Amino acid sequence: MSWAVRFEDVSKRYPAATWGYASLRDDLTRLARSLAASLRGRRAAPPERAALDHVSFEVEQGEPFAIIGPNGAGKTTALKLLSRISFPSAGRVRVRGRVGALIEVGSGIHPELTGRENIWLYGRIMGMSRQEIARRFDQIVEFSELGSVLDMPAKRYSTGMQLRLGFSIASHLDPDVFVVDEALAVGDAGFQARCVERMMSLVAEGRTLLFVSHDLSTVEAVCRRGLFLRDGAIQAVGDTRAVLRQYLEWVDHQQWRRKASGTEVRGRGLVVEGVTLHGMSGEERYVFAAGERVEVRFHVRAESEVPSPWFSLGISDGRPGTLVLCSMLEQDCAFRLPAGRCTVHCVLGPLPLAPRTYELWMSVREQVGAADLVDWSRVGAFRIRLPAEAKGAGGVTAPWLYGPVRVEHRWSLEAAQREASLRPEPAGS
Amino acid sequence: MPAAGAVGAGRAGAGPVVELTIEASAHVRLRERLRELWAFREVVWAFAERDARLKYKQAALGIAWAVLQPLMFLGIFVVVFGRIAGVQGEGASYPAFALAALVPWFFVQSTVSFGAQSLLRDGALVRKVYFPREAPIVGAVLSGGLDFVIGLALLLALEPVLGGRLSWTALLALPMWLILATLASGVAMILAALTVYYRDFRYVLPVALQLWMFGSPVAYPLSAVRPQWRALYVAANPAAGVLESFRRVLTQGQAPDPALCAISAAGACAVAWAGYWFFKRMEPGFADAV
Repeated sequence: MSWAVRFEDVSKRYPAATWGYASLRDDLTRLARSLAASLRGRRAAPPERAALDHVSFEVEQGEPFAIIGPNGAGKTTALKLLSRISFPSAGRVRVRGRVGALIEVGSGIHPELTGRENIWLYGRIMGMSRQEIARRFDQIVEFSELGSVLDMPAKRYSTGMQLRLGFSIASHLDPDVFVVDEALAVGDAGFQARCVERMMSLVAEGRTLLFVSHDLSTVEAVCRRGLFLRDGAIQAVGDTRAVLRQYLEWVDHQQWRRKASGTEVRGRGLVVEGVTLHGMSGEERYVFAAGERVEVRFHVRAESEVPSPWFSLGISDGRPGTLVLCSMLEQDCAFRLPAGRCTVHCVLGPLPLAPRTYELWMSVREQVGAADLVDWSRVGAFRIRLPAEAKGAGGVTAPWLYGPVRVEHRWSLEAAQREASLRPEPAGS
Repeated sequence: MPAAGAVGAGRAGAGPVVELTIEASAHVRLRERLRELWAFREVVWAFAERDARLKYKQAALGIAWAVLQPLMFLGIFVVVFGRIAGVQGEGASYPAFALAALVPWFFVQSTVSFGAQSLLRDGALVRKVYFPREAPIVGAVLSGGLDFVIGLALLLALEPVLGGRLSWTALLALPMWLILATLASGVAMILAALTVYYRDFRYVLPVALQLWMFGSPVAYPLSAVRPQWRALYVAANPAAGVLESFRRVLTQGQAPDPALCAISAAGACAVAWAGYWFFKRMEPGFADAV
């Protein structure tokens, strides 16, 4: 197969301070300032922000291709370059065939015009000929389900209806390369399902699809290959599921970083200065494989001796409730906490947890009298990732369907008289 | 600038697939750009049709405005210039004289102000859909043409009443309109490109257009300018020669001065060419700045 879209070392830079955007006054001041700076012999290059930074990739003809990444990663910029709305600062984009863009559809719909007029005018502005519109008019109306309000001005339509109209027009273009950007964010569930169907049928007809979305399960369902973009640079490219898994891992990591920033917890007569996590060889880390043993160290400072502290440690996945609770009392364990600094260790057995980010909670009480020394509070976070041997496909986008507890298991099928070892397949993915 | 090939030629399933390269380049090839604009004529026409529909849909008096606007100005002109300043109508009554230039002037004024803001008005489309960016501007000029035709009909109906002399020369109004349309497109493109980058021009525009009107022979005759300065004046303001010629063909039933028309036409072409070049030079950044 040959390529339909090719990015060749493409960069797109925007000046950090946008020249000529708001007003002449700002530019004149800036001009004066840069002149003054160059007179003093200092010539600073204007600061720039790279929306895309040396990006190269190829999309094959007839391939459904996804671009995913956090906000501001450069996804939309890439699509804009592709549809010739904006131009690269360096490198080049090559496209074979007509590009049809569905970038935030609905924005081209004119509120004063009726649905019918909008189909005729917007359709032509999008690049359809009169004959093409005439031929597809009924299809467009049927797809949008706006037949009954077709002669009403679009300003009386709801946002969802306007979006439906826009998507219907744009999706009946006849492009070779079809670009969809966050088009499905609005619109009811039924319409979203039909949009996905329409994209699938375009793909089945052999159109190339470039799909940017945060709706990862749709990405997983529709696209075969994908690209993970972050800060304008490619993080991963290849099989959609592998790329999605990398992206989700990164998202998870970000979440963990936000939660893990350790804070001191002040109790009554006792300060928890920090909680660190360690592997079995004592090294500090916060990412563990499922089924690994973890050592938790509480770094505490006591104002005076605590005769019989009762430490409790909880693990939660962020939802209400504690998944795991380890209590000193349960172990019938007691020791005396001297005044000053010391470290309390707790070694956990193999954690049967599913891959994701978990929160660490703790409290300290007196065993006698049960007075609270440190209230139940969040003291850190860690991540569990799948053991290396479990790298199956499927279901990467629906982690909430996983139970939090991961148990070794085996699947088999009797009739086939053959055993197949599979990863847990969540229902409905 | 995109070094775009034959854009719009490669529809899916019909003919060979067109390969397109999108890259930064400083070259502007106007002939290629014009060919592309021609390939997008359907889009231009769609913009023109939309503008025309909108103009008359949003206003209660609808299409009557094409007639009312020049008439209101005519009222002011008759009082201020005809009565108070005592400007003479050169062989026709002052109202006939003024109206013959007001109708074409209104075409220039509304087209330039509408066209200059069309990229901002259609910002949503500019940011999302590809078409040559001059398409909405050319569309605005064409929809202004509709107003002009309506205004011209009014003019033809009123001239005999107001004491103008009509003859076959009235037909020359159409080629002269072409000169004005060329000029207006060029000016609108320059202003549109500037307005995208500097919103300030939105506020300058109405004042500049008023100045241009008073600097053109709309309220007064071209003969108010001394003969030795006339050629230079018409070269500096290409609208002047055309407006004067409109008056000749519509109120006096005479053929226009060919030299005057030639200077105006050459000036209009120069402005249009420069405007188009400037516009295309600025075009790659439009979507980033709108």
